[in-house]
Amino acid sequence: MARGVEPGLGRASALAIAPELCLVDRQPALEHAALIDIATWAGRFTPAISLDPPHAILLEVETCLRLFGGLVPLGRQITKGIEELGFHARLAVAQTPLAARWLARFGAGDDAGKALAARLDPLPLIALADGTPVGPDSLDLLTGTGHASLGEVRRLPRHGLARRHAQAVTDALDRAYGRIPDPRPWFSPPERYASRLPLPTPSDQVDTLLFAARRLLAGLAGWLDARQAGIERFTLVLEFERNSQAPEAPLEIVLGTLSQDMQRCQLLAREHLNRLPLPAAVDALRLTADEPHPLAPPAGELFQGDDGQPGDAGLLLATLRARLGDQAVRCLTSHPDHRPEKAWRWVEPQPPDRSRGRQEPPLPASPRPLWLLPEPRPIPAPPPWTLLTGPERIASGWWDGPEATVRRDYFVARSQDGGLAWVFRDGVAPHYWYLHGHFA
Amino acid sequence: MAAPALSLLDNLVWRGDRLATPALQGRPTGHAALDAVLPGGGWPLAALSELLLPRNGVGELGLLLPLLANVPAGRWAACIAPPGLPYAPALAAAGVPLERLLIVQPESPAHARWAARQALDSRSCEVVLLWLVDADMGALRRLQLAAEESGTPLILLRPESAAHQPSPAVLRLALSPCRGGLGIRILKRRGPQLTEPLALELPWPGGGPRPDGGLEPPSTATGDPQPSSPSGKHALVRPLPPRSAPSGLHAGAQ
Repeated sequence: MARGVEPGLGRASALAIAPELCLVDRQPALEHAALIDIATWAGRFTPAISLDPPHAILLEVETCLRLFGGLVPLGRQITKGIEELGFHARLAVAQTPLAARWLARFGAGDDAGKALAARLDPLPLIALADGTPVGPDSLDLLTGTGHASLGEVRRLPRHGLARRHAQAVTDALDRAYGRIPDPRPWFSPPERYASRLPLPTPSDQVDTLLFAARRLLAGLAGWLDARQAGIERFTLVLEFERNSQAPEAPLEIVLGTLSQDMQRCQLLAREHLNRLPLPAAVDALRLTADEPHPLAPPAGELFQGDDGQPGDAGLLLATLRARLGDQAVRCLTSHPDHRPEKAWRWVEPQPPDRSRGRQEPPLPASPRPLWLLPEPRPIPAPPPWTLLTGPERIASGWWDGPEATVRRDYFVARSQDGGLAWVFRDGVAPHYWYLHGHFA
Repeated sequence: MAAPALSLLDNLVWRGDRLATPALQGRPTGHAALDAVLPGGGWPLAALSELLLPRNGVGELGLLLPLLANVPAGRWAACIAPPGLPYAPALAAAGVPLERLLIVQPESPAHARWAARQALDSRSCEVVLLWLVDADMGALRRLQLAAEESGTPLILLRPESAAHQPSPAVLRLALSPCRGGLGIRILKRRGPQLTEPLALELPWPGGGPRPDGGLEPPSTATGDPQPSSPSGKHALVRPLPPRSAPSGLHAGAQ
């Protein structure tokens, strides 16, 4: 732009001015997808949305002005939000959909207080062909008769226009000026959120990917906001360049709790992206969300202090698992089995606010050590330690196969330094002794 | 006339032979004998405490069991990088809510310290236990700051060899096994140094009497050289240094 490349410039001229210019072909399908993304996001402002292809979206905002504090704050929020999505928008407000579209494209933008006719009249003639069936021959006719603005055309005799095959012109003007109704089909946002963002240039930089992911998440935030819902997990799919080995890599991001907090989504997405080795440059990002669940509005406190806030147990769990991996962050549970190695299990940790008071399995009557060695450690026989209680015979387990079968006599022993240990003598010859745990 | 003023002064001025009274009451350890000698009457909140172990399984879990058993719903007790396997049936028998005990097994000490800082920062943990073999002063200081800011007690479990290293921990306990329980030497606390080792009888699982009989005074022959004469060895409690000035930099040093 700074060099003088302008819309409407030919390809060769543009390249002559700026040789390093990166030219991208227009893709109408992508443009339409972007329009749908924006409309989905706009559901956070009003439920009455209508697509006006190829490049306009209509929002019925009269009913929700009060909620957002008037037209100006609403407009500011919409502009800011659309910039977060990575687009640039021009807004205009009018009583009829067609007038709003024309004003957004051709209007001066600072005349919202005037009457509709006064705002529409100065628009150039070219506006007539925008979003209406008015053909170029009608425009030529009007230009040829020396008319330059909508106001002049409006003052022409109606039946004269109709006779010159320009019925479409009067229809368009009537719709824009509100003389005949102009019903539009409502846009209904998709039931499941899915969005795709092609990157301008393939990249393997985490920061670039995060920047793109932030745009996708902004769209997701609008969609969730419209439904007053939260999600528990979402999937970010990295589509690699076409010539790479693996076409794409899905990245499942678990939020740890029902949430519509995009800060949390970004934080976890960063952890996941940092951990993932990228085999090739990423060409596009795709985001699909889990089924949304209704979310109660946050219970705010009147006097919110910094201290004593309870903290987010689910977020800690999700953060740790995102960086360290699921296998590194787990909970223990006991399991009703008499063999010491089988009497416990790893379990998936549940966010504490959701875990119910679990039924504890019946426990062995005899004391068990607090530390269990992963493998019994051989000790010299007879053990150099004082045996205090025992033996407690633990045997069998044939149902798990011969290697899981045990036959042991357990003793509580006092070691030389005074600590208590759990030792056993193997029941099969040659009766080796092993250390299996510490009462500590 | 003078008595109220004096008693007021008494609260403001700390005297060298008394335990400091920290701003936050400590969290009771569950062992009355230990609570009695700790400033604040328990594990210091919002601070780093250190337990120094001659070996793993010396009795540290038994000491911490009351802390782990009192985790309220909706909060975690985080065990980061435990050297062995805490045995679930024994913990459950001692009343530890297993579904709130988060076991984190990071692949490196750096990851372990990161996990500890996350656990502190999230403020969703009742207590954070971190097993750490090697740590330089900077890492410890960062952990201490994180604990201070989060209001969560962080208990560091380190090998006994670390006793000679300086540490920013406000409380350092050296544990040793002893017949019938656990011997504790307080290496550092906010108060005069306690030269007598403490012997705690740890409860036996199941509630019965310990099979090794009662408690017997721990032998003082083993362990590190420790000040033999109590006189003149009272460690003075210094006020907390201001946060902005890093230690070791004196005002006139430049």
